[in-house]
Amino acid sequence: MVLEADRLGKRYGSTWALRDCSLHLPTGRIAALVGPNGAGKSTLLHLAVGLLKPDAGTVRVFGRSPYGDTEGLADIGFVAQDTPLYRDFTASELVVAGGKLNKRWNAALARTRLAQLGIPPDKPVGKLSGGQRAQVALALALAKQPRLLLLDEPVASLDPLARREFLQSLMGSVAESGTTVLLSSHLLADLERVCDYLIVLNASQVQLTGTVDDLVAGHRQLVGPRHDGGAVGGVAAVIRASHTDRQSTLLVRTDGPVTDPAWTVREVSLEDVVLAYLADGTTKTSHSEWGVAA
Amino acid sequence: MIWLTWRQHRKQAFYTLLGFAALAAVLVPIGLAMRNTFSDLGLVDCVSQLARADVAQTTRETCDAGFRRFGNQYGSLNLVAVLLITLPALVGLFWGAPLVAREVEQGTHRFVWTQGVGRNRWALVKFGLVGAAVVILAAVYGLGMSWWVDPLNQAAHEGRLGMIVFDLQGIAPIGYTLFAVALGIFAGTVWKRMLPAMGITLAGFIGVRAAVEILARPYYQAARTKTFPIEGDGPPEVSRGDWILTQGVRNPDGTMIAEDTRIQCPPGGKGPDGRVCGAELGVEPGAYNWQLYQPADRFWLFQGIETGIFVALAVLLLYLAVRRIRRIA
Amino acid sequence: MIEFVLDSRSKVNTYMQLVQQVKQALRVGLLTPGDQLPKVRDVAQSLAINPNTVLKAYRELEIEGLVGGRPGVGTFVQRTLASASLPNQAELRDDLVAWLHRAQAAGLTAEDVIALVETTLRATLADDAPQKEPA
Repeated sequence: MVLEADRLGKRYGSTWALRDCSLHLPTGRIAALVGPNGAGKSTLLHLAVGLLKPDAGTVRVFGRSPYGDTEGLADIGFVAQDTPLYRDFTASELVVAGGKLNKRWNAALARTRLAQLGIPPDKPVGKLSGGQRAQVALALALAKQPRLLLLDEPVASLDPLARREFLQSLMGSVAESGTTVLLSSHLLADLERVCDYLIVLNASQVQLTGTVDDLVAGHRQLVGPRHDGGAVGGVAAVIRASHTDRQSTLLVRTDGPVTDPAWTVREVSLEDVVLAYLADGTTKTSHSEWGVAA
Repeated sequence: MIWLTWRQHRKQAFYTLLGFAALAAVLVPIGLAMRNTFSDLGLVDCVSQLARADVAQTTRETCDAGFRRFGNQYGSLNLVAVLLITLPALVGLFWGAPLVAREVEQGTHRFVWTQGVGRNRWALVKFGLVGAAVVILAAVYGLGMSWWVDPLNQAAHEGRLGMIVFDLQGIAPIGYTLFAVALGIFAGTVWKRMLPAMGITLAGFIGVRAAVEILARPYYQAARTKTFPIEGDGPPEVSRGDWILTQGVRNPDGTMIAEDTRIQCPPGGKGPDGRVCGAELGVEPGAYNWQLYQPADRFWLFQGIETGIFVALAVLLLYLAVRRIRRIA
Repeated sequence: MIEFVLDSRSKVNTYMQLVQQVKQALRVGLLTPGDQLPKVRDVAQSLAINPNTVLKAYRELEIEGLVGGRPGVGTFVQRTLASASLPNQAELRDDLVAWLHRAQAAGLTAEDVIALVETTLRATLADDAPQKEPA
């Protein structure tokens, strides 16, 4: 297990940025951390890389508590949101800097990657395009040869072409190194083909976590006559329901085949599942915030 | 880490050194000219002669005339000296405040603190290197200023212990500069943006400096008192180099009748209206001039204490800064 | 060597698209036994997809006996689909044409036919592959 969180919480003042967060990330996965802005994605990543100290619960990376653990940092590559780098440094100086800051550092790997991508070595990175800067940040994170790579909204600020190039280069290197990856995005569409594991955060809580295959296989859309809320064979939970006066459309988590002929059963896409969980979390929160029953 | 610190700050270091070189280029020729004039006027001898108790009346008058001429020529430089006491604050503003605040403002702390060194080591190396550079700079500056300002001190009665001149020279600038930098660093860990951190640094520096100067420095050692008779021959006795904290005229019972003044009358002298000297102040027979002062030979002791206080404050602030850095994400 | 392309609008999931493309290439003779499939790393990089997805597609093809992996070298085609299915297709097509004429005679429109085919197809395949439903 690469990353484990147990009832992890982080508070800023009196508001919880992350609460009761329990999840685990198995080795070799490329996991997407999805949720709207402000859902606690960055907080979770900062806790995992030891920038933040938990206020509740625990987080472990390779079995170690990351806060204040300098040695553990060697195994974690981290690219923060907006890929901050010293803007007056050139890419080649950043590679040197990385060598001075890390015991394990594959400068040749970084140089080769940057050369393949056509990044000019002697231009200050502040003068590179956003896509190129993201590539430099990724190359630096990979030069640590980390066992876990954490990327915070790596493609959010990139144009579609740079976004694709970034993901191409990420997938190419992950295929080679076998690194476990956790990358966040507020848009699932960016990561849908990239991830095989999913963590959905909303309103500072984990809504959903599991492998993409299990999540897609474990959910179905049911369309049938208006549903009164009674049990349906094979349905473990109704995640989202919408009704007209005659018909109900349900997105359900299944625990067996739905055989009731009254229902038309459809397979769902990953996006359908995620949206259902996000909508569910949002309405719950806003009801509690407005002080009315859901 | 050392390489990184150098690479990050080399431009800033270059401009700082350039600034100091320019300052030296202006001040050194002035200092040399000042020293020439000082010896041409024979003031070097005067200093040693006036230090003796039995000074001939004529020598004293010649010397005083010489000091006056020197003062007329170079007295305006005291204004330059006032400007120079802002230098430690500038170093704090431009070296201290951005050290952490700039990293956080640009987000690069998330890059550098997640590499293999960890932020404690980052902080220690950075603070250490910047601190060492600043100490060297301040030491050169302080000793250089001691040399430069010396003739002005000799010419002024106040000596080296007076406000402003004390702050300019010796080892005190080391303490001030280190404190300013530490304050800047700490402010950067609290406010995390460059401009607020710089503002707080400036305000804090002025506040603490003023407080120490006014509230603490006069009491580093118990002050001494000295009395002079009101009636006396010749020019008034001057205590060169002493730092006079308060002075005034007291009646025999000890009550202060006139603060911040000193009177002297020829023996048996009477005022124009025939009254006894100083009668308009309410002077009773047997009244005397009184002064509370710190003697000139306490200069290095006071420098040591002042520097110690500011170095201690700097160390405290740096410790707090390291603790705060652990909480920045 | 073939190059994979993904249809981003397709509802078919990514690994299945890869499997289908290899099978298609085998059917039309674009790939023949001994040919190497693109390396996992190259496919993952050029399509910006998860390498595990590529591995899964190759494993599926391996289970079907169409390709075989040689450790450290790559994945190679072992069997072709071209010869077996082509004559079968002609025969099936004749059956279908006959059936369509009957449907037309019975008054079914083209849309009715498609709906009938789809529902029947789904029901039949569901019967054949119950393991696809979660247990």
